[in-house]
Amino acid sequence: MEPKLEPIVETFKSREKHMCVKGEGLSIPVCDKASLPGTVTQRTCVYGGARIVLMPITDSIHLVHGPIGCAACTWDIRGSKSSREDLYKKGCSTDLGEKDIVFGGEKKLFETVIELHKLYNPGAIFVYATCVAGVIGDDIKAVCKKAEEVTGCRVIPVQSEGFQDHNKTKGHWIGCDALLDHVIGTKEPEETTPFDINVVGEFNVAGDFWGFKPLLEEMGVNIISTITGDSHVEEIAQAHRAKLNIVQCQKSSNYLAKKMEKKYGIPSIKVNFFGLEQTVNSLREIADFFGDPEMIERTEKIIESGLAEVEHKTDEYRERLQGKTVALYVGGNKAWSLVRAFEELGMDVMMSGTKNGIREDYERIKEAVRDGTIIVDDANSTELARLLKKYRPNLLISGAKEKYIALKLGVPFCDFNHDRISAFAGFNGFVSFAKEVDASVSSPVFDLTFTSLRG
Amino acid sequence: MSCVNLIEKERNAIINPLKTCQPLGAMYAVTGIRRAVPLVHGSQGCSTFVRYSLSRHFREPSEIAVTSLHEDAAVFGGRRNLIEGLQNVAIRLNPSLIGVITTCSSEIIGDDIIGFIKTAKKELTEKIGEEKTEKIKIVPISTPSFVETHLKGYDNAVKALVDHVAEPSEPNGKVNIIPGMVNPGDIREIKHILGLMDIESIVLTDISDPFDSPLRPSATELKPYYPKGGTTVEEIVDSANSTGTISLTKYAGSGAVSLEKKYNVPAELGPIPIGVQNTDQFLRNLKKLTGQDVTDDILDERGLLIDSMADLSSRYLHNRTVAIYGDPEITAGIARFVGELGMVPQLVLTGASNKTFVEDIEKVAKETGVEIDTMVGGDLRQMEVYLKDNPVDILIGSSDGRLIAKEAEIPLVRVGFPVYDRVGYHRHPIVGYNGGIHLIDLITNTVLENYYEHQHWKLQQ
Repeated sequence: MEPKLEPIVETFKSREKHMCVKGEGLSIPVCDKASLPGTVTQRTCVYGGARIVLMPITDSIHLVHGPIGCAACTWDIRGSKSSREDLYKKGCSTDLGEKDIVFGGEKKLFETVIELHKLYNPGAIFVYATCVAGVIGDDIKAVCKKAEEVTGCRVIPVQSEGFQDHNKTKGHWIGCDALLDHVIGTKEPEETTPFDINVVGEFNVAGDFWGFKPLLEEMGVNIISTITGDSHVEEIAQAHRAKLNIVQCQKSSNYLAKKMEKKYGIPSIKVNFFGLEQTVNSLREIADFFGDPEMIERTEKIIESGLAEVEHKTDEYRERLQGKTVALYVGGNKAWSLVRAFEELGMDVMMSGTKNGIREDYERIKEAVRDGTIIVDDANSTELARLLKKYRPNLLISGAKEKYIALKLGVPFCDFNHDRISAFAGFNGFVSFAKEVDASVSSPVFDLTFTSLRG
Repeated sequence: MSCVNLIEKERNAIINPLKTCQPLGAMYAVTGIRRAVPLVHGSQGCSTFVRYSLSRHFREPSEIAVTSLHEDAAVFGGRRNLIEGLQNVAIRLNPSLIGVITTCSSEIIGDDIIGFIKTAKKELTEKIGEEKTEKIKIVPISTPSFVETHLKGYDNAVKALVDHVAEPSEPNGKVNIIPGMVNPGDIREIKHILGLMDIESIVLTDISDPFDSPLRPSATELKPYYPKGGTTVEEIVDSANSTGTISLTKYAGSGAVSLEKKYNVPAELGPIPIGVQNTDQFLRNLKKLTGQDVTDDILDERGLLIDSMADLSSRYLHNRTVAIYGDPEITAGIARFVGELGMVPQLVLTGASNKTFVEDIEKVAKETGVEIDTMVGGDLRQMEVYLKDNPVDILIGSSDGRLIAKEAEIPLVRVGFPVYDRVGYHRHPIVGYNGGIHLIDLITNTVLENYYEHQHWKLQQ
């Protein structure tokens, strides 16, 4: 097929190649480039990337070393649920002021760490570097080391200066590095089994992890740690003894799995618990990996009863959603991992895009979507509005900033991001997913949006 | 004994902040201008996380551009990013005004913002011509994140706007209003009062429509997207010719002071018209500036507030203790109002470090005859600890106190910013007599829900 000459929507010349159509040419957009200055970007900073990877460690204090805004705008904004501690929900900052900028903030940081340790005795204190910490040259590593010696508590530097890169993914990796360098491998498990695993890249948003944790346990695998949803730091410390890493969010955490494979020889498989088919496949792949006949048998039973439990529960929704179009514009992983789930609902993914995708992410998207699907990279707010206006999907899946852009255009929206309140993973999660998607797409409100009273 | 009992925060750490940094206040202020674009000169997170915070509170889009500074900028400066960013905004979005908002990193790097703007204008003139370039006002707004709070950023933005845009010509007979960081409902209530007084106004700046705009796809200007409403640039130009300026906040009145100094526009700073006496004062200020007398309609609205206070205060509210937290102006205003209701403002807490706040609270303490525990430069952890030994009947403040309220089993009346776990709070005013009525309803219903036996409600009117 001839490559399209017409740009997908009107935009800057340099941005045109960041959008493409599957089936035409390479089917991979230009990606992983710095955003144009002066656009309303949907991206965030490296610090934000590191923070969301580590924040779900529930027994830890997350201390932001910078002026107050970096902590004030990000504390408790990830809907990662906890079954135990709630320390991770606190917003802690060194609140750097003018004096600290001039004389350095290391002393203040040290004192703050000591105070927080005294107040909360946490599992660990993660110290995040912000742009300012970087510009004034505070040696966070040295301060953390000293504070660790004094307190006896894990004090972990996270070198996440916000401006380091245009891509938040770098922040994910920095978060993973902090775990690799300072946590994983620092404690031996009391006992091991042949079926020890880590659940990597699962952040328990809205309790997603709890949607498939019981399935894994029933299969007979032993979960050493989740990295990082609903976790304690001492669990992650033992992660090096797992026999397998299963990776849910491949965007943020493949990096960690690869590094663990290299360092500890732990193989990994990519899983996806969004959607019935993907849940079934993931469970089977885990069982196949271990190759234990009893586990395989148990797994088949779990699948059978899991599917039976939800059978017909989504019929009503599927009927209404049949043939409706959906556009995905997300951080990364969900741009491919959700595609099959929507197809199972009878919906058509007409667009998929990410804010921070790198080439391997777009390879995955290309594999997942049908011919003719628009693939977009780093669409800024204006481009997103134009895409929505031109193609008018029946639903946009995106985050909180995009939500109101879509709604203002009369495009229904469903939250699949940090602040979502329903768990969508696993068998029952799929029913919630169908229900919520239907609530958005089938809302009577949007019929009223285009009523004409004049003329 | 009536006085202020200052309680110090005895640690460095901020735990659960009650303030954020300057740029947020500036982004808020620029959003209140029609067809204006806030352009943040900093990292992507500096705009993105603020957009997220604003959207969560207002449930509206928040369109804020950023120059996307990266590592090379930290070394070589953000010159190219700002110059290109300005041109991209100007060419693609055709704005009336661009507010260039600095951040911690661009301030520390020491970028020459004024110089960069000049260069950008020069390059822009070559591309789109002089006439088009001159039509776009570019206003540098310095907001170092490591100094004071978001309110200072708002203050700096309003001051920068009038300093760079206002121009004296003929007197216009209007009153400038600097509303402070309040909700759309508050600004609408102020405009309602001015309407009843038959006073024309220029609101510096008016976020009421941009942050609460109708869903009318056919009417929304989409190419590019600008929300309805906002103060026009022409109005800001004209603000130098007004009869006077009333800043509803004395904590962010620099714009008013500057207009007075430069153009002899008389300035009145605060207090925010929350409660009876503060609203009375606002009307006196209006009268002083314009000579307009208070109308019957307004006296009726005052009467309605007093009527509901008479109905409710002794019966349900008297001597009930309250802890109030949030921005200084709103906190001080509510403290005075709960005093007027016969309640006891037992604790007031603000994240800003401000002497004026303590003076305001001293005044309330004298009026109410109680000792008020006061925390400045504080955080929510301070309140959490305090409440363990000093419980109160009601908490008044933002959603960020919700977990403390739950833990301490004290009901929370939501006001201020941010409110994300209830709806409608950005729409309803807490200022003016009508705002007082709304607030007293909120407080009394909360008291009824929590402190009265449900089975006896029919007897408790």
